[in-house]
Amino acid sequence: MIKVYSTPTCPYCVTLKNFLKEKGIDFEDLDVALDAHARDEMVEKSGQMGVPVSDIDGEIVIGFDRDKICQLLKLEC
Amino acid sequence: MKVYDLIIIGGGPAAMSAAVYAARRKLKTALIAKQLGGQMNEGYVIENYLGPYGTPGPALAKKFIWHLNIFKKELEIKEGEKVQQISGCDSSVKIVETDREEYKTKTVIIATGKSEKKLDIPGAKEFEGKGITYCATCDAPMFSGKIVAVVGAGDSGIDTVHQLLSYTSKIYWLNKYAEIKGENKTLGEEMLNNGKVQYLPNCVPSEIKGEKFVKSLIYTNVQNNQKSEVEVEGIFVEIGSTSKVDFINGCLKTSEWGEIEINHQTGATSVPGIFAAGDVADTKYKQISIAVGQGAIAALSAADYLKTLNKK
Repeated sequence: MIKVYSTPTCPYCVTLKNFLKEKGIDFEDLDVALDAHARDEMVEKSGQMGVPVSDIDGEIVIGFDRDKICQLLKLEC
Repeated sequence: MKVYDLIIIGGGPAAMSAAVYAARRKLKTALIAKQLGGQMNEGYVIENYLGPYGTPGPALAKKFIWHLNIFKKELEIKEGEKVQQISGCDSSVKIVETDREEYKTKTVIIATGKSEKKLDIPGAKEFEGKGITYCATCDAPMFSGKIVAVVGAGDSGIDTVHQLLSYTSKIYWLNKYAEIKGENKTLGEEMLNNGKVQYLPNCVPSEIKGEKFVKSLIYTNVQNNQKSEVEVEGIFVEIGSTSKVDFINGCLKTSEWGEIEINHQTGATSVPGIFAAGDVADTKYKQISIAVGQGAIAALSAADYLKTLNKK
């Protein structure tokens, strides 16, 4: 289960989501600009007030950390 | 190993413009960028680039990338690679090493732009991402209804306050100087009349305090050295930028500000065959339109340089 917490204006969020799409990875896209519940959940899980944050099967990735995402998803990058 | 005519390092307007010119000159070119779009990706609304008036930064970046991709048959676009070193500065063939590969090339255009300068005060590192942010475009909605501070009153600081007005309940706006500066000075001055903005001229941040997240900011008035503390949950920092040139290994001459010194007629650096363009170079004004022009100059100069190489 992959969740991506993002805002629509954040360039790194767009890059991250495009990257996952290119790799054919399904994910739940949570817009923390609109969804206050998702915003609280993201802050609680990550201890961060900045986007993007990804939850990859319980592992939290802060920012667009391509190498860590590839490692967690066992992708060749 | 294949030898390129030109390797362009960077993904912003200077780099993309250079790539388009190089492709049209049929130079064997690769463009290496961590991410395409550069600082345009973080711009809110761009009003001073001729043509697409009032376009959000990321949308303008998308238009540039679309244009670049028209030439993708003539170019190798290597997005996601990070250049770690340039060597062979004394030789006619330079080597560009990235985190993935090594490339040989006859010419190089460095157009890596600038990155934001970080705060260097107690609490700045500890609370980065925990209330301190360097990307208002990304994180402004996280601070809906909250009290925040903005540090810096140049163009990016003005842009940040403008974005935050629609989300936050109050903004303490710290400016090291008395007056607001920059291209968007008029907008900046207009916002001083907004009830949400408390302007703090001649003030610099001194310490950031909090527990899990930021709780307060201590700032100093540089004129009387008086310190004050305000409760804030967010601190947006826009205090300028530094050139991204850590990979040049002292191979090129740089200015006292760390910018690459260029001949402004040709974009040539102190090393034959290496050119620079855009914000990374020692250009007085850091603007998209100037970066685009300098990218074109650098590519055309690289093409001319290649002709002289081939004659030898």
